[in-house]
Amino acid sequence: MTSRVFLILALAVAPIPLPAAGLAATEPVHASTAAICTVTSGPEYYAFPLAATDNIPGTGFARGRAEIAVPAQSPFPIALAADGSYVYDVQVAIDNMRAPRSGTLVAWVTTPDLDRVERIGSLGETLRASGAVSWNKFIVVVTLESGDDPEAATWSGPIVFRGMSRSGAMHTMVGHGALQQENCTSYGYGG
Amino acid sequence: MRPAAAAPAFFTVALLAVMAAPALGQHEGHDMHEMHGMTMEGGWRMVPMDPNMPMLPGLAEAVPVVGAFLPGMGMDPSMLPAARPSEVVEMGDGDTLAISVSMVRRTIEGHEMVMYGYNGQYPGPLIQAPKDATLVVQVTNEIQTPTTIHWHGIRLENRFDGVPGVTQDAIEQGESFTYEVHVPDAGMFWYHPHVREDVQQDLGLFGNLHVTSPDPEYYGPAHREEVFVLDDILMDDQGPLPWGDSAPTHALMGRFGNVMMVNGETDHRLTVRRGEVVRFFLTNVANTRTFNLTFGGARAKIVASDIGRYEREAWVPSVVIAPAERYVVDVRFDEPGEVAIANTIQAINHFRGVFYPHVDTLSMVTVTEERAEASVSEAFETLREHEAVQTEIDDFRQWFGREPDHELETAVRVRDLHNSIMLSMEADTLYFPPIEWNDGMPMMNWLSTGEQVTWILRDRATGAENEDIDWRFRVGDVVKIRIFNDPDSFHPMNHPIHVHGQRFLVLSVDGVESDNLVWKDTAIAPVGSTMDLLVEMSNPGEWMIHCHIAEHLSAGMMFGFTVEP
Repeated sequence: MTSRVFLILALAVAPIPLPAAGLAATEPVHASTAAICTVTSGPEYYAFPLAATDNIPGTGFARGRAEIAVPAQSPFPIALAADGSYVYDVQVAIDNMRAPRSGTLVAWVTTPDLDRVERIGSLGETLRASGAVSWNKFIVVVTLESGDDPEAATWSGPIVFRGMSRSGAMHTMVGHGALQQENCTSYGYGG
Repeated sequence: MRPAAAAPAFFTVALLAVMAAPALGQHEGHDMHEMHGMTMEGGWRMVPMDPNMPMLPGLAEAVPVVGAFLPGMGMDPSMLPAARPSEVVEMGDGDTLAISVSMVRRTIEGHEMVMYGYNGQYPGPLIQAPKDATLVVQVTNEIQTPTTIHWHGIRLENRFDGVPGVTQDAIEQGESFTYEVHVPDAGMFWYHPHVREDVQQDLGLFGNLHVTSPDPEYYGPAHREEVFVLDDILMDDQGPLPWGDSAPTHALMGRFGNVMMVNGETDHRLTVRRGEVVRFFLTNVANTRTFNLTFGGARAKIVASDIGRYEREAWVPSVVIAPAERYVVDVRFDEPGEVAIANTIQAINHFRGVFYPHVDTLSMVTVTEERAEASVSEAFETLREHEAVQTEIDDFRQWFGREPDHELETAVRVRDLHNSIMLSMEADTLYFPPIEWNDGMPMMNWLSTGEQVTWILRDRATGAENEDIDWRFRVGDVVKIRIFNDPDSFHPMNHPIHVHGQRFLVLSVDGVESDNLVWKDTAIAPVGSTMDLLVEMSNPGEWMIHCHIAEHLSAGMMFGFTVEP
């Protein structure tokens, strides 16, 4: 533990190496000085952690979390898009970390195939951002951007945190488990 | 994976893999289509399944542990009167209606079958009555099994609530019971049996009771009103799949149908004029299916629900309606052509681990070129605020912030299920959706019966479960009930929770406060959610709270509470 504290202090005073994108990195915060992310709304069951990528320094003790909740304006206990997909308010929170000195942490949602990206918003000084998502499976990505462009179609900086929605845990049983000897090709898998 | 969990998980997967081998031979030797309709032990027939979905090992010849039941088994349907579409019955204060519960002949998807009907109709008669009327309904049971009528959502006198063993004895074949139904609230209500709903309701015993307000502007202007009773039924090419005799099948997820119906019709159609505003009164009478009703892109606004209007009307992309709920929605059809009113969902294929879009057309609307009267079309643009509703709710806001008076949590207990089902369920517990829109595991679901599955409502304070819960209130109490639909169980699922004889507000879901309240009698608790209800205890008697998935109710998910005068 002592060596970890020393490492943190050393990092705090040492010149911070820049990430590949040429952006200033973030400063770590000792675990005892910041609360761990807590659920403020939405069902605990569908909240999910955001794991650091270690692409930039200062995130070793950081904790990330995404919470989802039904929008308040829905007249139903759930909210759906026209195609039947769930609509959620998404809250992204990072703790045990300070906002970067330069550059901006921005939260995004993307599909598991990464073919569609939507911007949630800048995390700002509080390292919090909120937005909406209307996909049933999605990934929340937090990146370090050189600027804060609300019109940006996708990210250009390094990914700092990422996490998959709980629904991402639902996986195919084809070819393993009880169905390991099934003919995968007949179900559209493999060849 | 945590080391402690590794060994049992490995064992589970390994055992499943070993068990897979013999079944695969059976599967390949018996194409699912060939097995469909095959008579099995005890008069059962194989449950319809997507032929692309493989069967779990050892289940090819498995049947539910209860006996098979079909109404009028062995009876020639042609000997029965053909059921007629629902007829409107206008009733005034003190009027009497005779309702006969009988077997009828229905034809669905070309199959002639024995079903049940109220007065030989499907749905039962649409009763229309003014608010504050008292209706006398004489019910005679002519089917083989006992029945009652529950007046869903009506805050009526307790002895007419239709709960056998609590408010009355069940009506045996050949016997009668007279209900006095006082209707203190305006809205669209419905009536159905409270005996084996999974069978009797599924076979056609349901009807609407429309209580009209004396206020001519209670709703906004509309060109016409349509009543849509949403339902589904599980059939194969021989007719309806048998139901369980002593206990329901499909106890895990409820009996999803594979044929959709509006007002008992599989080919429902409407013709409207361009710009016509149609007010739909929606009731979901399905055993377990929650519908997501879409209107082909036509603009829709939600107006009212179970027991009256929302504080304000709101635009909605769709209407999510759980079993037993009602919604009133105004829809304007602007573009000439064909518009499909559909159940539009993202279904789950558990085998492939994916969501996939699925659309079932429920009704086809033909929009003609002729223009509807313009002033009504224009008035549709206004979202009305209902000050009277807000004022009435204002009286209850003092209780909104209080701590819950009672907390319930859900659970499910299973025993003696087939090993394949147990192992598969235990291995596939990483994700459960908030709402089960489809039966993604039809074989496992079918084989789970009310004798093996117990659904539970548990009082968190006392640990009491289901009928052991003993809540007592006094008339005038306003009670906050928190319901946690615990996802940490064998098979969590959404539950439409129904409170008899009272009305409630859904204050919040997962801490997110509702900003547009409406009085309800049924509200769905999605998986993992925490829902706060504020119940006005206005009506004395012995009442029930239960899940309105018919199979969950039969599998124990209910308890009584007392409201002292």
